[in-house]
Amino acid sequence: MTLVWLIGLLLAGGVVAWGGERFGSAWPRSIAVTVMLIALVMVLGLWSGAATGVVTPGGPWIAHVEADWIPRFGIAFHFGADGLSLVLVVLTIILGFAAVIAANIDVKERVGFFHFNLLWTLAGAVGVFTALDLFLFFVFWEAMLIPMALIIALWGHEKRRAAALKFVLFTQGSGLLLFAAILALVFAHYGDTGLWTFDYLTLLAAEGSWPGNLWILLGFVIAFAVKLPMVPLHSWLPDAHTEAPTAGSVVLAGVLLKTGGYGLIRFTAPLFPEAAQLLAPYAMALGVFGILYGAVLAYAQSDFKRLVAYSSVSHMGFVLLGVFAATLWSLQGAVIQMLAHGLSTGGLFIMAGLLQHRLGTRDMQRFGGLWAGMPRLGALTLIFAVAALGLPGLANFVGEFLVLLGTWERSVWAAAFAALGMVGAVIYALALIQRTFHGAPHGNPGVRDLDPRAVGLLAVLVLLLAGLGLAPQPVLDTTAPALEALLRLSEPAILAGEVASHGL
Amino acid sequence: MVFEDFLALAPLLVLAVAIVIGLLVAALPGSDRMMAGLTPLALVLALASLPMAAETAPRLVTPLLLVDGYALVFSGLILVAALLVAVLSRAAFAGRPGRPPRLQEFDLLLLLAVLGALVLTGATHMISFVIGLELLSIPLLALIAYPRDEPLPLEAGLKYLVIAGVSSATLFFGLALIYAATGTMDFAAIARTPTAHPAFVVAGLVLVLVAGGFKLSLIPFHMWAPDVYQGAPAPVTAFVGTVSKAAVFALLFRLFEATGALASPAPLWSLSAIAFASMIGGNLLALLQQNVKRLLAYSSIAHFGYLMVPLLAGGTFGAEAGLAYLAGYSVTLIGALAVVGLLRPDASGREAERWSDYQGLFRRRPWLAGLFALMLLSLAGIPLTLGFIAKLYAFAAGIDGAAWLLLAGLIAGSTIGLFYYLRLALALFAPAGAVAGPADAMPADATGLTLPARGLLAALAVALVGLGLWPQPLIGLVREAGTLAATEPPALSRPDPTEARSWTE
Amino acid sequence: MVGLLFLVPLLPFLGFLVLLVGGGRLPRRAVEAIGVGSVALSFAVAVLVAIGFAGLEGESYRQTLWRWMATGGFSADIGLWLDPLSLVMMLVVTGVGALILLYSVGFLRGEAGARRYFAAMTLFVASMLVLVLADNLLFLYLGWEGVGLCSYLLIGFWYREPANGAAARKAFLVTRIGDAALLLGLVLIVASLGTLDIPVLQDRAPEAWTAGSTLPVAAAALLLAGAVGKSAQLPLQVWLPDAMAGPSPVSALIHAATMVTAGVYLIARMHGLYALAPAVQTAVAAIGALTLLLAAISALGQSDIKRVLAWSTISQIGYMVMALGAGAWGAAIFHFMTHAFFKALLFLAAGLVILRLHEEHDIRRMGGLAMKLPVSFAGFLAGAASLAALPVVTAGAYSKDLILWQVAASTEGGLLLWLAGAIGAVLTALYIFKAVFLVFFGPMQTAPEPAPASPAMLGPIVVLAVLAVFGGGLAVPAQLAGTLPAPPLAGAPGHPPLAFALVSAALPLLGLAIAWALYVGRRGPLTGLAASRAVARAAPVAAAGFGFDALYERLFVRPWHALARTLRDDPADRPAAGLAGLSLGGYRLLRETQTGRVRWYAASLAGGMAAALALGVLS
Repeated sequence: MTLVWLIGLLLAGGVVAWGGERFGSAWPRSIAVTVMLIALVMVLGLWSGAATGVVTPGGPWIAHVEADWIPRFGIAFHFGADGLSLVLVVLTIILGFAAVIAANIDVKERVGFFHFNLLWTLAGAVGVFTALDLFLFFVFWEAMLIPMALIIALWGHEKRRAAALKFVLFTQGSGLLLFAAILALVFAHYGDTGLWTFDYLTLLAAEGSWPGNLWILLGFVIAFAVKLPMVPLHSWLPDAHTEAPTAGSVVLAGVLLKTGGYGLIRFTAPLFPEAAQLLAPYAMALGVFGILYGAVLAYAQSDFKRLVAYSSVSHMGFVLLGVFAATLWSLQGAVIQMLAHGLSTGGLFIMAGLLQHRLGTRDMQRFGGLWAGMPRLGALTLIFAVAALGLPGLANFVGEFLVLLGTWERSVWAAAFAALGMVGAVIYALALIQRTFHGAPHGNPGVRDLDPRAVGLLAVLVLLLAGLGLAPQPVLDTTAPALEALLRLSEPAILAGEVASHGL
Repeated sequence: MVFEDFLALAPLLVLAVAIVIGLLVAALPGSDRMMAGLTPLALVLALASLPMAAETAPRLVTPLLLVDGYALVFSGLILVAALLVAVLSRAAFAGRPGRPPRLQEFDLLLLLAVLGALVLTGATHMISFVIGLELLSIPLLALIAYPRDEPLPLEAGLKYLVIAGVSSATLFFGLALIYAATGTMDFAAIARTPTAHPAFVVAGLVLVLVAGGFKLSLIPFHMWAPDVYQGAPAPVTAFVGTVSKAAVFALLFRLFEATGALASPAPLWSLSAIAFASMIGGNLLALLQQNVKRLLAYSSIAHFGYLMVPLLAGGTFGAEAGLAYLAGYSVTLIGALAVVGLLRPDASGREAERWSDYQGLFRRRPWLAGLFALMLLSLAGIPLTLGFIAKLYAFAAGIDGAAWLLLAGLIAGSTIGLFYYLRLALALFAPAGAVAGPADAMPADATGLTLPARGLLAALAVALVGLGLWPQPLIGLVREAGTLAATEPPALSRPDPTEARSWTE
Repeated sequence: MVGLLFLVPLLPFLGFLVLLVGGGRLPRRAVEAIGVGSVALSFAVAVLVAIGFAGLEGESYRQTLWRWMATGGFSADIGLWLDPLSLVMMLVVTGVGALILLYSVGFLRGEAGARRYFAAMTLFVASMLVLVLADNLLFLYLGWEGVGLCSYLLIGFWYREPANGAAARKAFLVTRIGDAALLLGLVLIVASLGTLDIPVLQDRAPEAWTAGSTLPVAAAALLLAGAVGKSAQLPLQVWLPDAMAGPSPVSALIHAATMVTAGVYLIARMHGLYALAPAVQTAVAAIGALTLLLAAISALGQSDIKRVLAWSTISQIGYMVMALGAGAWGAAIFHFMTHAFFKALLFLAAGLVILRLHEEHDIRRMGGLAMKLPVSFAGFLAGAASLAALPVVTAGAYSKDLILWQVAASTEGGLLLWLAGAIGAVLTALYIFKAVFLVFFGPMQTAPEPAPASPAMLGPIVVLAVLAVFGGGLAVPAQLAGTLPAPPLAGAPGHPPLAFALVSAALPLLGLAIAWALYVGRRGPLTGLAASRAVARAAPVAAAGFGFDALYERLFVRPWHALARTLRDDPADRPAAGLAGLSLGGYRLLRETQTGRVRWYAASLAGGMAAALALGVLS
């Protein structure tokens, strides 16, 4: 039941925060912070209680609640969290917390309405990670986009309206494909068994291989690939990121991108084993291409946030590679990569917000030599950039190494080119540091260093990155049972397909 | 006509009586206030009589009207929509400055049109089809041009008159052709009777489809819609967009189901082409539209393009999906037009149809702007709104009927639709700085709305979000409509033939 | 006392943490004290551990701290593994590190950013110790990348000058290419052998893999690529000369003594793997030989004093790699140790000279400093002698002669390799004494500052000078006999016979004589040759390090910039923009149909009817 309470808390917290604005502009922020604290406590309680999980066919479920919603189509309020969902929910709450605290960097007016949208986006994300009914999953999938679009559109920077619309068109448009795919799956299942149900577990157990399987899978994959983002469908990300306010960027990069990755792991291979097996080589190729393409484009940018946005495209290429390599190593690597990317890119976006707040621009040509003026800010940006380029000892490396390990079994070439992507990461990460902090200072007026409070928040992120980098075992143990269960479900196809894909 | 027949026709009779009383009352002084009470009362009574009529359903009353689950649920939808329009019209016209307009005629025309719509939902015979359609169209002309001292409504009314005339001619020609070929006017019989000229029947059906296409404002018969939507006062636009279209859809669905028209390729292919064109064309036309009422017109073209998917899917699920979609769309459109009608952007009393009226509205009228944003999200089909349930049914019908091309059109159309719905929604929240202009002239007080208006808006909001979150009651009701195709229409109940006597005795 | 092993890497890391977190508020003296103190303390603990280890009867001592990651059958720990090889490395790293840090206190006297400098240096020492003491290759890789990062930070220490930033980025990028290959090697090993644990690998690899089959060859090649990147061997040596942009103590510690020899340590540590891949082992030898020749010639062509030493480092590591290739594992590590001493000494002495001559780097504008800067002259001379391996009197001689002999005698070596080594020895003596004579002899061109050098700088120079001269006596190969296999000498004696020793002793003296003739005597037949056209044309080629930089610029850097420029505005966005344009076009097209005239509306209705009917007739 804690899951429903958690989502309810976030939703109610949003409304209260909005109402709180009437009593003063500081109220919404404190309400939001207390809400996030309570949420954090609930989630950690959930994690510590993980050992007492309820075991059902879909893998060991930690929390599980079910109630009827629309019996006509067999739709139910079915929430459940296994290791995979739990870890991502924890990430959502942590980054939500960081976003709330970083909100006042550039959100000055209508603060209450902003926190309302922020908390509702987080509630939507938690809903996506824990919904086990495909209809409910889709409702949260679409519902979390509108508050996010509002955040970009109302509190963003220059071209915010266009960026918000592009963001919505891309994600909603592909969401419609997902909706059609879900309905096609449900109708096909109804055709077979005469039973109306949107329930993930029953659809899993059905294991029917319907004629249009590949098309249905494509509907799922395209929707998740747009959200991931996968390269050809990624062009909304840089615009959305550059125009979003700092807190918006942190949540967008840290949480919303992960819903795409989560969807790929949870729904594609287990529901459509054969079709996923057919699709795997192409998806892996696109993943690798994404890594390299993202790296090249990141280097080419002169806008700080656009560079970080393209670096996200590159990092998410690893996740795509890991998901479709479909071995335990690569899946765990993909999950760790998602967590690490959330923390490191979230940190980089907070840095971007701080820089823009001080210097009035994101254009790196007008930066340069800032290390003299802001050593603390420079040091922290360096740490996050170094994490982003995958330095061992920080979290990204663990994710990327495990993905390489898993990919090697599937295809040597993919692993080789992915490793090349890690070299690309060095190029753009160091370029970021060079253009912003090194070189002769231009004597920019707004230059002043971080105050201790901001350093405290970012230090927490750095500690998490180092903790996850040097001791990822607790996370690995939590996700292992869930991912093994998912692998078992897509297992029959893997063995059959073993010879087919190995030749690549 | 045994007593059960009268019971079956209860809703129609209640309305008829109300109209007659209305005509009598019109002569008395102070009739405006009386009519203000009479119209909603009549509609509520008609609604109340529906369950009574339901006991006798399904029943063929005179070969013209078949009162079954399908007809009754559609009648319910129409009556609810009409009630909302009636309340809205009172509130909207009250808001106009200058001498209060005399609304007796408005109410009478409204009731007449609703009567026509009810006839249409039950029609299974060409005569009832024609009577219902004309009874619905003629009052509509007057309603559209009701504020006769303004040029735009007159122009809209005239255009509607001419085009409705052309489409009625087409309709009669089509029916004549069918009658010529089959010799019968009863829908069910048309399919059964062998005919020497099948081409005539096909041509006739196509012509009926064209007339229906006009009424439902599908592309290429849609051109009247934007001008009429813009010209007519907001309540009448709501009436045109919901009641008249719902009634015509109900009839077309029953006609095509009964005559099996969609089995033969011609109507099927032309309807699919029309549907696809409407979905894409409607949305494209609305892309950069600056006038909100014309934008809603184009959006209704697109939405009725989506509605063709359940019509093509047919069968019990088609009826259920069609009705659910109409319910969702009607509530949303009335809600949107309620805001357009009730929002007085400036002292001139004109309706808020310009884009600038909505720029940054959220800062001045948060509740109205919030409701309008909710309606736009529902039109776009975002979850947690009734519009999403409508989209669920449209998609489900598409997949059930395996109409992949139309499904693709549905997805593409919805995506394009997202653009202009959200562009308008985002404009609502635009920070004050973005626009100077007439925003300051807006009377900031929210008290401009009368009590019934606020009640109406609250009811619409609750319906939209409530049913969006918990659609089960609507779905239960809607499934009832699905019973149409399942059962054969019952035999005509006639008095005992032995007692047959000439009328003169 | 061996249990204290974990303190050795932990102490510098703690120093780093204290400087990172509290550095801002600490006074400069405290910052310096923490920096030098943590490394010195680490050296003290290392010595204690060494003593404890000597008492231990086992071949190696293992200490696991905690489980790093374990998933799906693969597991890696944060664990340390001490054996004679890593003991030598540990002692050198901490010892030389402490001396250099002490020297840096004096060197950075007037500079700002001391906190950043000492933080990076302590992190470097910690990472290097992790690299050297790691018990599994993944943890080694953590140290491997850590030193890469610190080298980037320290090369770019004076970040205001964009050229330094570029040099730092170049260093990190080129080594990262090698690291990527190394990581792929690790992935290959895990995929086929299931573990990265070094002790376990040593006996599992021979069982699982047959010598010469594709897997061991691929693994060994990938590891070699990593080593080549980090140790600046051919073809990835372009970054080291530019790395001289960093302060001299940085060059001394990172780019001479410790980091650049990480590749040598890796190959020595994985000698079992290279035994399984003879083809790769010969490649190692070949790379070593080629690099030492190329680097020696390039060093001769340099005019910047630090670049001479940088190319000299590449050349000396070439010797070590050649020795590894020929199976002379012990000799290579011995040369590593002596090289650490004399090369650090040379850099520190050169640093002192540069400091005194107001950042003057060009040796052609120096001269006659012997009397003015006696200590740095003595230090530089001792270092130069040991580098040139002047017989008997220097440590360099013992290690280099041992390499030359074992390479010649080893079955996997051969006379060709020895010849390269011999020519290299002559050239080494030539270029280092060219530097000595140009800097310290002849007329003085720029006058040094009269300020007296602080003892903190001179002390390390003296200590290193002593080690550079008497270090040969430590007889490192004997201690390493246990862990590293003896070279395959096919019966030949371990140490060079008298005749061979005399020849290899003559080589450096020949180089010295040539240098004397060219740069002090300035007469005799050689000066004519030096001025000849051939040498004139060859000089710029040598100075540019045989044009590798220009080649890579055209092969990689320029295409990358061109690619970035063309893809700058994201071609993947064009289809989306196209769709938007299409729908906008559709809107404008359809908008025209709304003419407002009723006649047109009626006409469109009739047109639609006609079309529908036509459809009926056709179908």
